[in-house]
Amino acid sequence: MTTTQRVHWDLTYDVHLGATWGRFMAGLTEQQILANSCPECSRTFVPPQAYCESCFVRTDEWIELPAEGVVEAFTVAWQGFRGGPTPPYAIAGIRLDGASTLLMHYVGGLDLDDPSAVREQIGPGTRVRAVWAQERTGQILDITHFEKI
Amino acid sequence: MATRAVIGGAGITPATSPRKQTSSSLELIQEAVWGALQHSGAAPDSLDGIVIGNIDGFEGTVLGAKHLVRRLGLGTELPVSILNTGGTTGGNLVQVAARQVRAGDRRRVLVIGGPTFFGAQDLQSAINTNSPMIVEQPLGMGAYHMGAFYPSAYTERFGATVEDYAVSAVQDHEHASRNPYAHLRNTMTVDEVVGAKPLSYPLTMAMVCPVSTSANALLVCAEGTTSDLRPTPVLIKAFATSSDPYLGGGKNDFAAMENLAILAQKVYQLADVRDPREEIDVVEVFSPYAPMQPMQLEALGFAPPGGGIDLIRSGATRIDGDVPVNLSGGPLCTNAGVAGELAPLVYVALQLMGDAPEAMQVPGARRGLAHGTGGTFFQFENLAILERT
Ligand SMILES: [Zn+2]
Repeated sequence: MTTTQRVHWDLTYDVHLGATWGRFMAGLTEQQILANSCPECSRTFVPPQAYCESCFVRTDEWIELPAEGVVEAFTVAWQGFRGGPTPPYAIAGIRLDGASTLLMHYVGGLDLDDPSAVREQIGPGTRVRAVWAQERTGQILDITHFEKI
Repeated sequence: MATRAVIGGAGITPATSPRKQTSSSLELIQEAVWGALQHSGAAPDSLDGIVIGNIDGFEGTVLGAKHLVRRLGLGTELPVSILNTGGTTGGNLVQVAARQVRAGDRRRVLVIGGPTFFGAQDLQSAINTNSPMIVEQPLGMGAYHMGAFYPSAYTERFGATVEDYAVSAVQDHEHASRNPYAHLRNTMTVDEVVGAKPLSYPLTMAMVCPVSTSANALLVCAEGTTSDLRPTPVLIKAFATSSDPYLGGGKNDFAAMENLAILAQKVYQLADVRDPREEIDVVEVFSPYAPMQPMQLEALGFAPPGGGIDLIRSGATRIDGDVPVNLSGGPLCTNAGVAGELAPLVYVALQLMGDAPEAMQVPGARRGLAHGTGGTFFQFENLAILERT
C-alpha cells in the first residue's frame, strides 16, 4: 500500500530590506561595514537595527566599523545541506572591533583536513579580517569570507 | 482570586521515523487526542476549546492545523486557536490554553501537538527557511551548525571536551530505553557517541536529535472543574517565555544560556522556587543537541556555570538521582516537531500524576520543570513549573 504522495513547492520572494538594512547593504558595495548605535545604552549593532530592543529608542547614530574583529564562537561543517556550500567549511560569530553584537560569516583560508587541528586555527580569540568580493551587489556575501590576520 | 489552570489528562503516541511511519498526520493526532480523553476520562462534549500548533512549511502546508481539527470527531462548534511559533509552538500551546482558562474564557481546552517534522523530504532545507533571511541565511548554516556554536564557546571558557558532551547523550539514551514511547531506544557508550559521524565541530551525529513522527495531546482545565476526571490534576503553577534578538549574532554570549537564566529567575519567582535543586523533583529540558543540556541545567540553577557536566556525571540527573532529567530520553531520542516541543510538559505532567510508564516513574514526584526552546540559534525559550495538587 502506498502511504505517501509527493508534494513540491517552488516559490521565489523579493524581500524588501527597508531603510536600515538597505543602508547596510549599500555600505557593503563600497567596502564599508556600517553599524548603528543606541543613544541610551551606547551599544553598537552590526548588522544595524532601527531600534534598540533594550531601551525602546531609535538607533540613528551611524558609524563605520573596521572590517576586523575576533572570533567568539565557531563551527566547522563536515556535513552540509542541499543548496549549501560544499563541506568542509568554517562559520564564525565575529565580534568586529567596536561592535556589541556578533556578525556571522564564513572564515576561509584554513586547512580543514585534520579535525583535531581546527580549534587551534580558528578557536575563539582568533583575529580575522573581511575579504571583499570583486563584484559587490549589496548583499552579505559582498564579503566573501573572513580570513585570519 | 483568579482561576488557576490544571492539566487533567495526556495522550502520547509511540514515535518512529518518517520512513517507517504508516499513519497520516491526522491519524497520529487522532490517536493522541483520543488517548488524552481516555486517560482523563473527559467526555468529548465537555471540551470548550482547542489549541493546536503547526510550523508553516515543514509539512508542505500553511496553517495546516486548521484543516485537521474538524476531522478529529470532536464536534463542529469548538473554538480553535492555532499557534505557529516554530520551536516554541509546543510549549506555547499550553501557555495559551492556560491563559484562556485563567482568563475565565474557557474551562476545558484540548492542546494538540502534531508530527510537524513529518513530510519534508529535505527537512534541513525546510528548517533553513526559518533562519534569519538576508544576513544569516546565506551563510551555510543549517540547524545543527548553529547548535554547534554553543559548545565551541563553552569549550573555550570551561575546557569541556567532546567526551564531556557525550555524557548527556549517553544518559538520554539510557533513559529513552525505559520509555516505551521513545523513538531511539538503544543505549550508547561515550566512545560510540564520540566516534559517530562528525557533523559540525564539535557535534557528532549521536549528539544530534533524530527526525521523529508522533503526536501528543494535553487537557488543560480550570481548577475545581475536574471532579469527573480520573487523574490527579497537575497545577500549572508558573509559565513564561522570553526571547533574544532575532539575529543569532544578537546573542551576547554563546558559552552560557543567558536568556534561559533570565527566564528561570522570573518563573522561579512566580512559582516561589528558591532552591531549584532542592525543590524540583523531575525535569524535562529541550536539548536536541547533547551539549545544550549541561548548559541549560546551569542556566536553570541546578549547577554553577561550567558545572553542568559534573552534575550529570555525578548521577544526580538519573532516575534514582535527586534531580532526574529527561527521563523520557528528551528530544535527543525523540523529536517530532510540535509534538516533541509539547513532550516535556506531557512527560512532567504524567510524572506528577503518577501515570508515567512504570519503568520511568519517579516515585512521589510533586513538583516538576518543563522547558522548551526554539529559533535556529535558540533565541526563544519557554519554561513551566508544574505541581501535583
Ligand atoms: Zn539601548
